[in-house]
Amino acid sequence: MVQFIKNIFQESSKNMRITLYVLITLVVLFAIFAIQILFWGLGYTDMNNNFTWGAWIIGDLGLVALGGGAFTTGYLLYIFRVDKLRPIINSTVLLGFMCYLFTFVFLLFDLGQPLRCWFGFAYPNWGKGVYPASMLTEVFFCLSIYFCILCVELIPTILEHKVLIKNKVIATIAHYMHVLMWTMAAAGTFLSFFHQGSLGGGMWGVLYGRPVWYSPHFFFMAVVAAIAGGTSFMTMMPYIAGKVMKKEVVPMETYQILTKVSGIVFVGYFIFRVYDVYTAIVKYAPMNFRDYFDMWGGYYGIWMLVLEFILIISAIFFLVQKKYREQEKFMVIGATSGILAIVTSKLSVLLHGFSVPNFPWKGFTAYMPTIQEWAITFGCFACMILIYMIFAKWFPLFPHLEHEEHEAHH
Amino acid sequence: MIVKDSKMKRKWGMAIDLDKCTGCGACSLACNQENNMPIFEDDSDVPKRVAFLELMKVTNDRDAKFPDVKTAYLPKMCQQCEGNDTHGHKADPPCVSVCPAVATDVGDDGVVSQIWSRCIGCRYCQTACPYEARVFNWWKPEYEGTFKEGLNPEVSVASRGTIVKCTFCSHIWKRERDKAVAKGILDINAVTYTPACAAACPTGAIVFGDLNDPNSEISKLAKSDRAVRLVNAIDDQPEDKKKALMEKKQYPNPKVYYLTSQKWLRDMMRFKKNS
Repeated sequence: MVQFIKNIFQESSKNMRITLYVLITLVVLFAIFAIQILFWGLGYTDMNNNFTWGAWIIGDLGLVALGGGAFTTGYLLYIFRVDKLRPIINSTVLLGFMCYLFTFVFLLFDLGQPLRCWFGFAYPNWGKGVYPASMLTEVFFCLSIYFCILCVELIPTILEHKVLIKNKVIATIAHYMHVLMWTMAAAGTFLSFFHQGSLGGGMWGVLYGRPVWYSPHFFFMAVVAAIAGGTSFMTMMPYIAGKVMKKEVVPMETYQILTKVSGIVFVGYFIFRVYDVYTAIVKYAPMNFRDYFDMWGGYYGIWMLVLEFILIISAIFFLVQKKYREQEKFMVIGATSGILAIVTSKLSVLLHGFSVPNFPWKGFTAYMPTIQEWAITFGCFACMILIYMIFAKWFPLFPHLEHEEHEAHH
Repeated sequence: MIVKDSKMKRKWGMAIDLDKCTGCGACSLACNQENNMPIFEDDSDVPKRVAFLELMKVTNDRDAKFPDVKTAYLPKMCQQCEGNDTHGHKADPPCVSVCPAVATDVGDDGVVSQIWSRCIGCRYCQTACPYEARVFNWWKPEYEGTFKEGLNPEVSVASRGTIVKCTFCSHIWKRERDKAVAKGILDINAVTYTPACAAACPTGAIVFGDLNDPNSEISKLAKSDRAVRLVNAIDDQPEDKKKALMEKKQYPNPKVYYLTSQKWLRDMMRFKKNS
């Protein structure tokens, strides 16, 4: 085993070795501080009774929204039969799987009593009928079921490993799982609409006591945001992997389809966001006798809103127009601004939302994550990158690549 | 023994006269003692402190100099919101419907309760609360030396990582009812009680009682012109507009009333600065 790991390091280039060292250091730090937080409590974070949630919830919101690309791509491929998306689907499913896995990890860290996490299933807060009273109850159930679906979707990628696939039974299972995958994609899309809405937006939109968040349409806006940002994210990750591996892992036309979808949905998101800001100004902030622009201040001021809109417009500009989208560098700029737009919106929901004072005699507050929070957040991201690297190296993550290699071999 | 009428008639409310409050902090002290608040090495870390009752210092302007500066002290605890209950159903405070584990509920006496051993510590209720009234045990609650012997057996000690909150000292009411039962009175509405903060107030600024009883002092105070609720302009609106707002708006509708005739303070409650 030690020899095996040694070989990996010796085979890798210098840059890759440095990257691996950094990632592994982050994972080790994550493990150390995870023990501290789980055993000695959340006192070591910079969260407090005013700033109830912090870095990990930003991680949750971001990962779930960007992981939303998985259900969109799955839906387009399996239901709409856009077969050109097939080269990217394995990578997409893996990314979706990891995003959700680490959402669970973050959520677990955020619980004051992680050992009681099963209470969410044992004592769910259902309202009248089937709709849950608490958005978090919905998150508990939808997220878990959708995570199971992603696990099932990921199985064929593992079964198609070049050693495993030689076994006839496994090959048959993998084949039929691929054939029947549309059922999973359909169920996944159905579920995703709920938890994307609840964790990303509805959770904040229902808080009618807090004028900074209250907006009944926030639920639906988060779904649109997830489709728009998620597809950009699902484009960028394999693109970066391809650049690192110096191979064409996914054909350009696949990227083009996803970025086009992303660009068009970003137009919808832009309109929705403008409506959101407009209703907040004229309706929801005055409803609580607050002024919308007075609520922007402190460190997380109006610049966050401006930045978000710049990024959205940049994504639309580069991704909707064919002449720009077809140039690789503009496609990259567009998709990156798309991802950043969604991340900024989530940052602004949290940082700006909590910094706003509830009482006129209090000032804006700020939040500076402690070393524990940074380590756990970036440690999780490092874990994700490592898992993605492992899959790219040893599993058929990019069928297109193997296809090409196969042909070259012949 | 037959209990003829055991239907809950009470709706507990509180009125705090800010013009009478001297800011001595006796209410806060009494609350901490009554409800087993932990003592930490550094309790000056206010945002992480565990206390049900926060004595807030309110100034019209931080930079104001004498004689323009005005100050008031404002004891703030859970406002026991009722929610804008336009449909005549159960009360719906902002914090109760959000709990994923049903650890918090609102009783038929109007008090928002919290089961500390059911709480998973997700802090969603704390996020939902517009009054910053819920507190989280960021550290393990500690009671040093003889403090342990002084703990109140009627209030359970919370574990680390759970949300705790003011319950209007509901356990005192339970104690009073138990006393009545010992005398043979089984009617749940037979007794009233006084929470620790109201009992401790040296100037009588805190009045506690039954809002459903029209003859109680609290009912009269809640209807007075001086009454205003925390950061809520709805009380200062004309009667017809108030009614219309109550119909439409999702509004916390707290049951703690602050009494003041100082205009600057009433304006502060409406987020109108420096008037």
